Amino acid sequence: MKNSMSRRQFILAAGALAGSAVLAGCGGSSTSSSSTSTNTDSSASDDSYTLVKDGTLTVVAELGFAPFEYMNDQTGDPEGFDVDVINAVAEKMGLQCEYLPNQKFDTLVPLIKQGGKADVSIAAITITDEREESVDFSEPYLDSNQAIVALKGSTETEATLNDASKQVVCQGGTTGNDWITENLPNATCVPVDDVTAALTGVQTGLYNAMVVDLPVAKYMLTNSFSDLDIIEEIATGEQYGIAISKDNPNLTKAVNKALEDMKSDGTMDSIETKWFGSTI
Amino acid sequence: MSHMHENAMTRGESHHTRRLPLLALALSAALVLVATMALLPVSALAMTTNKATARPNEDGGSGVIGAMDTRLTWEGTVGGDEEVSSITLSLPEGATFDHASTRITVLDGLNRTSIDGTATSSGNSVDVQFSEGIPAGSLVRLEITNMQFPADGGDYVVSGSYTTADGQSHALDDSAAITVIANTPLQAAVSWLDAQPWVAAWNSNPFLGMFFKPQLLLTSFASLFPGWLVCLGIVLACYPFAIVLGLAFAMLKTSRHKVLRAIAICYINLLRGTPLFLQIYIMFFGLPMVGINIDNNVLGVIVMAVNSSAYLAEIFRAGIQSIPQGQYEAAASLGMNGFQTMTSIILPQTVRRVIPTVTSDFITSYKDTSLLSSVGVMELMMFSKNLTTTSGNITPYMAAAIYYLIVTLPLIKVVGIIENNIARSERGGGPRPKRRAVAGASQQASKAEEELAASAEVSHAETAKPAADVFAALSAPFVSHPTVDLGGVADGE
Repeated sequence: MKNSMSRRQFILAAGALAGSAVLAGCGGSSTSSSSTSTNTDSSASDDSYTLVKDGTLTVVAELGFAPFEYMNDQTGDPEGFDVDVINAVAEKMGLQCEYLPNQKFDTLVPLIKQGGKADVSIAAITITDEREESVDFSEPYLDSNQAIVALKGSTETEATLNDASKQVVCQGGTTGNDWITENLPNATCVPVDDVTAALTGVQTGLYNAMVVDLPVAKYMLTNSFSDLDIIEEIATGEQYGIAISKDNPNLTKAVNKALEDMKSDGTMDSIETKWFGSTI
Repeated sequence: MSHMHENAMTRGESHHTRRLPLLALALSAALVLVATMALLPVSALAMTTNKATARPNEDGGSGVIGAMDTRLTWEGTVGGDEEVSSITLSLPEGATFDHASTRITVLDGLNRTSIDGTATSSGNSVDVQFSEGIPAGSLVRLEITNMQFPADGGDYVVSGSYTTADGQSHALDDSAAITVIANTPLQAAVSWLDAQPWVAAWNSNPFLGMFFKPQLLLTSFASLFPGWLVCLGIVLACYPFAIVLGLAFAMLKTSRHKVLRAIAICYINLLRGTPLFLQIYIMFFGLPMVGINIDNNVLGVIVMAVNSSAYLAEIFRAGIQSIPQGQYEAAASLGMNGFQTMTSIILPQTVRRVIPTVTSDFITSYKDTSLLSSVGVMELMMFSKNLTTTSGNITPYMAAAIYYLIVTLPLIKVVGIIENNIARSERGGGPRPKRRAVAGASQQASKAEEELAASAEVSHAETAKPAADVFAALSAPFVSHPTVDLGGVADGE
């Protein structure tokens, strides 16, 4: 009888437990900045950065951009070049890496700007002056270009696409989107949420072409859209960076340091070789 | 070139060593001459201007408006044998590069070359000095953010010059013209708002600035208008079809034949049991895959009509079944057949009862057209999504909300009025047929009250005045039934 509880005792105990859990939760968040500073205070205490969750680098991305980030068919876990990069960065910083659920691409920069949900966003985000007004970027970790994708055997060119009768699709908020509005002003630019929907649309003839990052175009065309073709490679030389809140400059510094270490110790090269067959 | 150089050197050195400075002067003059002669005839090898474009800065539009921040992108290819050390771009008077920032990209094919530089802007020209010479054949892209074109619009070409590593300066080809729109009245209004202190104070509040930024609200209203028309067009075009289809399936579902009932049940349950979003995806991506290509807007109308018809079928079915059995019996006692009973007794009463629910469904359909934005129908939501993406502000969504409310709020009010009227008349409120003379002015309205009797008359006199009766039946719910004090009858008002 000693070990068993009456129902009232149980409820009291459960209530006490829940209460202490809530308190512990509060305590956890209020001490988060101080405990992260202990992680990094080997150099100086002003180098400390805040994290949404202690000991964890919380990452947000649009997980439909193979080979940079996509969900594994079987496990549903994020994988890809960017995922490997951010995992390596987190490892260098002595943190665990945790992905938030999939988010639409055009919400990533606003989400990081607003803060509080994720620490960084790595999603093949091109560093542009416009985005830099909202968030900070790490040093660039990869160079990229754009591509125009159309049906195989299509006679479309950049010139023929610039016509009022043409619909050119892209992922909303991407640099491809910008490129269309600036370079194909006469065509209708159709921004959609995900790359697969856009490419399917091109495949079925709903849209005349798609403008998307060249590595993604190459990957998608080899792996799932064999009846599409890259009709033009657009040399933009854009660079991908990791987006970090402007309120967290020390995190940017720490990420930059990790990226630098990865470049010098060959981690970056091995990730590039893993995903692109060679270093870029 | 090297041959001449050697000759001059040997001559100078062997015979007149004292004249060395003079000779060196002549030598350098000769070199300059040779260099210019070498460059002049081979202008094809000089740096070429590939293109110059400006990012559209018209909210929701594709135009470039003068005197508003935009981004100029200039692209050129370095000619053969050249090494470019600086580039100067200039625009006609009125354009400004002040406060602009320049991003430099140098590419060899698709590969980025790490060459940096510094840009200094002054008035209508910008000068970019590169950290090292740009090798021949490279593509140079200069993206100049936050520059402005002249306010009065027109076609502007980007001209300029470049210097090579050896200090030579050459003119650049003019770019293709960039068409700039003059500042519009709308834009002028926005500029006026920009200058107002209360607007600045309003926007400094993060919530108000993010959700109700006055400038953006104004431009959003203007640029969302076509999207609103598309929304209205789609729902107005789809609804007649939806009603006809819905009525047909309601009949099938109330049919005595098992097979017909099964067909109707399958149709209704499949469409009501799956999200509209899924149906849109299936139709928009599925149909083209089997070779059926329909215009996006037309397909949108079809999907909305089919989806709505399932809900309407259920509404009509419920409406028909809510008519008391006595009405059928009364009709039968008057000698009507099934078709007559349906068209002149049951359906007119059904219409009255279902009008509030159908209006609610219309509101739902109107709002659901927003889902079509996901497949590229250029409707209200699509426009506001694009605007929000480009502006990074939620205000365009608020403008869209207002556009939706312009239609839905009056309709909701109408539903309320109809419901009240119906409730009152079904409770026995409103004028009695006997009191017609007393009611006087509400004669029109009282017609609806007598519709059973009226339709019975019709069946006897056959085509007496069916059009007027149908109109009366349909309009009855919209016409108020003035409550007449009937002495003892308390109608619960």
